[in-house]
Amino acid sequence: MKEIVNRLKEKFPVTAEIYQRDDLTFVTVEKKYGVDAVAYLKEYEGFTHLVLLTAVDWLEEGEFQLTYLLNNPKAKHDIGLRVRIDRETAEMQTAHHLWPAVTTYEQELNEMFGISFPGSPRQGHRFILDEAWQGPPPYRRDFDTKKYSEETYFPRPGRSKIDPSEHMKKKLYPEGM
Amino acid sequence: MSLKDVLMPFTAWGNLFKTPVTIKDSRNVEAAPRYRGFHMNDADKCIGCGTCEEICQNAAIDLVEVAGYEAKDGDSGLRPMIDYGRCCWCALCVDVCTTQSLRLTNEYKWISSDPEDFRFVPGVDEKHWNNRTEGYTKMDGYDLYSTQRVEMGELHAEERDKSFVEMIKGYSLEQAQKEADRCVECGICIATCPAHMGIPRYIEAVRHGDMEEGLRILYETNPLPEICGRICTHKCETVCSLNHKGDALSIRWLKRYIADQVPAERYKEILGTDKIVKNGKKVAIVGAGPAGLSAAHYLSLMGYQVKVYEVQEAPGGMTRYGIPEYRLPYDMIDKDIDYIKSLGAEFQFGTRVGVDVPLETLEKEYDAVFAATGLHLGRSTRVPGSDHKRVYQAIDLLRDVSYGKEIDLSEKIVVVGGGNVAMDITRTIARLQNKKYGKVGVTATCLEAEGSMPADDEEVIEAREENATIDPGWGPQEIIVENGEIKGLRVAKCLRIFDDEGRFNPTMDMENQKVFEAEMIVESIGQGMDISYTDNIKEKLTFGPRGRIQVSPDFQSDIPWLFVGGDIIEGPDVIHGIANGHKAAKGIDKFLKGK
Repeated sequence: MKEIVNRLKEKFPVTAEIYQRDDLTFVTVEKKYGVDAVAYLKEYEGFTHLVLLTAVDWLEEGEFQLTYLLNNPKAKHDIGLRVRIDRETAEMQTAHHLWPAVTTYEQELNEMFGISFPGSPRQGHRFILDEAWQGPPPYRRDFDTKKYSEETYFPRPGRSKIDPSEHMKKKLYPEGM
Repeated sequence: MSLKDVLMPFTAWGNLFKTPVTIKDSRNVEAAPRYRGFHMNDADKCIGCGTCEEICQNAAIDLVEVAGYEAKDGDSGLRPMIDYGRCCWCALCVDVCTTQSLRLTNEYKWISSDPEDFRFVPGVDEKHWNNRTEGYTKMDGYDLYSTQRVEMGELHAEERDKSFVEMIKGYSLEQAQKEADRCVECGICIATCPAHMGIPRYIEAVRHGDMEEGLRILYETNPLPEICGRICTHKCETVCSLNHKGDALSIRWLKRYIADQVPAERYKEILGTDKIVKNGKKVAIVGAGPAGLSAAHYLSLMGYQVKVYEVQEAPGGMTRYGIPEYRLPYDMIDKDIDYIKSLGAEFQFGTRVGVDVPLETLEKEYDAVFAATGLHLGRSTRVPGSDHKRVYQAIDLLRDVSYGKEIDLSEKIVVVGGGNVAMDITRTIARLQNKKYGKVGVTATCLEAEGSMPADDEEVIEAREENATIDPGWGPQEIIVENGEIKGLRVAKCLRIFDDEGRFNPTMDMENQKVFEAEMIVESIGQGMDISYTDNIKEKLTFGPRGRIQVSPDFQSDIPWLFVGGDIIEGPDVIHGIANGHKAAKGIDKFLKGK
């Protein structure tokens, strides 16, 4: 794996490398080299299979991290290519020309994280969310699930709730303090 | 579109009369052992803290009243009802459950045509999966909040056993916020605190680093936060929901943290008490202990002119004259009380009401009187020899130490008693002996067996760390006196303390006796009250059990102008005194406004 990374380094500036297991490595490159590095790994290093494309919301750092997890079926090796992108603009080049399945991942990331992949088919089309979905992308960490459900769904008739400390006051010391 | 495309769907009709290929699954395979299905709650273990409701991101949980469960200390009596129209089986409720009473069974197949059936109280409503043991339970070691309290820095036994320097160091900001972060804000503690302090709110203020807001919350119900932050009996921590699976929140230390952070000179500005409009009415308070001080504080805020009469030379009552300095430094008592003084309350020290000033004079000169004179008379064991001059009362010795008087020590001293006062005098004696003789020779003994001593556990542990001997489970029989000198205390093994009727009536094993060698004995088996100042009006008062004056919920006696509270009514402890004083202040205000 080390040699693969070394060869990759000759082509693209690698900013971080983690040798997680003998058969699993993560490397990070700058956004502008991301798709090219993935294409290189696919075409020249035998990582012909896309396992997944996913994102992590580094809210505090103002960035999203994209991971293209690739598999070399012959060598039985995995490599995760990571790219950090700005959270504010949230835009990345599409890689759908490399594998048709990328379209689906990019559609999902577009819907759930609000990351756009210009040129990728089905951007802006609903993936798993309801047609009526009004809220912000729900996988973003600042998405407040509870607030959204309180605002969006009306309470079921007949439901009522009791605050434990208020209830105890009423039952145990009604005279108050 | 070709003709084939149009006709294809109709070919399916050909299968209409064939035997179906789908079959009923007769294997009836159960879900995986950790599958997340319908909830099950151990309703007896659940305390209705509502943390499950709070964490539920889908608002699927409501705390509701259920038959058979009533609100009591440490239990709201409510139980969670779950709306399966909203539940997404994420199991956050299980992971956060403070008692671990809530789990998910692996049953997920259940059919009913009535949607209302899918809203029920798990563990209370009968469901066929209630006995199912498989399912999702919280994993050990996976906790959404820390189960361990942030450790409090203490002086080591060697550093503290010769000195009266405060042994608890207090939290840093980082430690306090980390500890405050453990609070689940259930509020179960509020009902148990005699003063019903806004505990979750001031803990939240610590979390946000807003000590000014914290101080305001403390003063709503407690005008002695430096004192309570150190020596409160913290009943709140006993019922803390975190106590069920881990350490209770350090509520007392966090209270202390808030008060310690705010300098005394900023109190008036923060609490908004710069200008108080006087109402022209006067109230006398007898006793400058926690109850009297609390009443003085709240009455002063309401505009009353308050004067506190105190027999000792300084205010604080038992907090100053009973609790040793290593637990509660005098400057901290002063910080709390100086603020109350700054609100306009006057103090007259060295004055015993009933002797120096008759109660009748107070009645004439004031609109109302609040008497909170406390328990300052030591009780004797009355065993033979207990009238010897080297037999002392713990409370008298502790008072002498507070006054800086020298105690006539011996190298071997026995303390009779197992409560906190007994531990206070034992540890005080240990320090004094260490200073004088370079070694400790004090033994405390009491009727109660190991593990059921009335003192707080940490007091017993720390006393032992300081080389005092604690030998519980013995009943005193005789103080052995030879040639006018005390030689020791003869004790017999105590078999039981209470009789079948629950009365105090200790039984001893007279075959099992021993002698604790000693030249001096200190008795610490409880305190009594001196309310002789009411002698002239006694016939107008009603007395309850143990000679306590009967009072209304406002702490008003049968004589309308006389309010009574503190240890002589309830407790004994500081926080009851504070609560009594606050209620009495409100009662006095109600009484005088109605006049």
